Amino acid sequence: MIAPQGLRAWQPSDSARRWRVPAAARLTRLELRHNAMPLLLPLAIAIFGVFTYSKTLGMPPLWNVRAANTQSGLVADFVTPVAGAAAWMGSREARRRVTDLLETVARPRFARLLASWAATSSWAVAGCLLCLAAVYWATSLRASWGGPLWWPAAVAVASMPAFAALGFGAGVLVPSRFTAPVAAIAAFFVVALSTELIAGSQSYWQVSPIVSAAWDVGPDPGVATFYPYLPDLSIAQLMFLAGLTVAVVAAATGLPRASGPRRLRVVAAAAATAGLLTAGAAVGLTGTGTLDAHGMIAIPALHDAADDRPLQFTPVCSRTAIPVCLNPAYAADLQAAASALGPVLSEITGLPGAPVRVIQSATTYRQGPGNEVSISLAGPVVSGTPAVYRLLMPDQLGGPQLSPGQLRDALRAGTDPSVIASVVGDGPGASAAQRAVAAALLLAAREPYRALATGTASGVRAPGTPVPGSVPSRRRRVAAAGAGLIPAPVLQAALRFRALPASVRRAWLVRNLGALRAGRIVLARLP
Amino acid sequence: MNIEITDLTRRFGRTTAVSGIDLQADPGVFGLLGPNGAGKTSLLRMMATAIPPTSGRLRLLDRDPGRYGPRQEIRRRLGYLPQNLGYYPGFTVAEFVEYFALLKEVPARGVRAAVAAAVERVQLGDRAAARLRTLSGGMLRRVGIAQAIVNEPELLLLDEPTAGLDPEQRVAFRGLLRDIGRRTTVVVSTHLVEDVAAACSEVVVMDQGKVVFRGTPAELEARGQAHGVGDAPLERGYSAVLSGSRS
Repeated sequence: MIAPQGLRAWQPSDSARRWRVPAAARLTRLELRHNAMPLLLPLAIAIFGVFTYSKTLGMPPLWNVRAANTQSGLVADFVTPVAGAAAWMGSREARRRVTDLLETVARPRFARLLASWAATSSWAVAGCLLCLAAVYWATSLRASWGGPLWWPAAVAVASMPAFAALGFGAGVLVPSRFTAPVAAIAAFFVVALSTELIAGSQSYWQVSPIVSAAWDVGPDPGVATFYPYLPDLSIAQLMFLAGLTVAVVAAATGLPRASGPRRLRVVAAAAATAGLLTAGAAVGLTGTGTLDAHGMIAIPALHDAADDRPLQFTPVCSRTAIPVCLNPAYAADLQAAASALGPVLSEITGLPGAPVRVIQSATTYRQGPGNEVSISLAGPVVSGTPAVYRLLMPDQLGGPQLSPGQLRDALRAGTDPSVIASVVGDGPGASAAQRAVAAALLLAAREPYRALATGTASGVRAPGTPVPGSVPSRRRRVAAAGAGLIPAPVLQAALRFRALPASVRRAWLVRNLGALRAGRIVLARLP
Repeated sequence: MNIEITDLTRRFGRTTAVSGIDLQADPGVFGLLGPNGAGKTSLLRMMATAIPPTSGRLRLLDRDPGRYGPRQEIRRRLGYLPQNLGYYPGFTVAEFVEYFALLKEVPARGVRAAVAAAVERVQLGDRAAARLRTLSGGMLRRVGIAQAIVNEPELLLLDEPTAGLDPEQRVAFRGLLRDIGRRTTVVVSTHLVEDVAAACSEVVVMDQGKVVFRGTPAELEARGQAHGVGDAPLERGYSAVLSGSRS
């Protein structure tokens, strides 16, 4: 029955003869070659490209923002294909009616199922790493400071074997052609809906790998820029995913009677128990987490106090009369910030008490009731001697990403009045003269506010109000600037003062700024 | 003794598939004949260690398959072709046979050679790289035989191995059986008495879960000399044995 021509047609290759690959590796290689995951990977990658990649690259080139968004995106985009493919592979033996034949082989059932799950997971991890590499590579081209954050990446990657384990387990335990689609859809809803139950930063549900930052804050530019990224939540998530993976894989492949010898089943039972305990511990730890002052989840048992120290960096500064200095991660915004603040800074340069530098500072976060979080400047607006004005860039307060033009407008509307107010003493309880001088300096600095001169006699909208020291709510913070009205007498005095030559204005201010700040100058005494 | 069966019984709920069978076998080719529902497949599955017996004693290759360690030793030396061969359509012939070689714990360094030899023995060498989904029913049957013999088993159990094979392939397969049977115990469950006549040194006829005849094919033919039912002498013998057992 031997056919010599056939023997010539198929011979093991030289390389195969040279390399003696262990049997388990060969089994896994066969499973890799005949796995459902590679068929679904293009779909997963396409979903990632359409939804997550494009969205992430539209975000500021800050590592923390992009890493956090990529973690959530990868988990959401991959969960359906991975769980579905794994369920399909898990149900394969029963669907293909190979069970009877496989019952009679020497290698334990545990080993062959493990190889199949490992192959599915490997493909999913490879796809995940590919997507991750694309985002990180694109970010590295534009980010001006910092480096890749590996904790969010690790959570995203670790989610793949966990989803594969869940899908695979479903396929093994309920082998049917419908198991795969049901598992895929169920996995998506479980992941997507897990966030609906999060209330506040102490929610156990933050253990869901789709949560990449304090859920109430989200991927925020103000987080992990001035302080190190806190890995506490990521560590808890990794513990949860590892425990879940071990528990499900051990239960699905090692516990059934046909899986192997009693000793192996005892080990599988122990592994499943250990996995469940680990996952449970991770959930418990997540519940002890609190939103820290830097906008991240701190879990006391996992927290390293060294992570509370601010990051060291050399700011990038403008060449304006009063330098505007930003965190190097924001280097791309320096030009817009300098051009927005430059005219106002020119007006106050050299005045007594005027800041010698404007420097970007960190925000502080405080958990409110429910999912409310207040974000504000950490510390006073002006500090030190000589005075330094502490600046918050608009996107540190969350909200949509701003174009350079929008950024300039936001700084003019919010920061310019605040800078003037810090010198003149404008603000709640300020005198009419202080308000008039502040308005005059703003009008002098900014062409657009000449339109104020056409205001009604009873009052016009002020050019802006200083950025408050505290923004009460993330959802309300954008509406911080410009709600006040200037009474007509104040406006007339402001227009009069603004009409003075700059040198006269400056000379008067140099002489009278102390008295003005003390509230000793009345409106009528303004030149 | 490669097969030692004493008072072996297997029940599925209230149905008794195999009832108190005694059987011993050394190397050679054994034909297992019987009508549908006679218990042939259940007996083969017990010998293949796919299902345990309900009662009785079963020893295979001088080992007790009821214990895990000896059962694994038996399985390393066992080849089994089930009646309905399930397969993975995306695998190639060589990959499918390699998959089973690995699962049967063929030593890693010998896997490729063993796969090549098994594929050649069923005359599929030129289709080794073909995916299973592209093969005909007869070719798939040969793939099933290849996976059964890839570990050079000491005990080979084949359930309807020639179903779907064309006459030329059937003749070749009988030659293969005779060759393997020189040093291996081969049990072939079949409905085709020609296979038994051509390849088997001994034949066992089962009916209603019991062994009703055991002897050589010539002895079975002799039983049918005075019996009118059947076209071939062996068929007449088979019919005579069944009629006798039922009366």
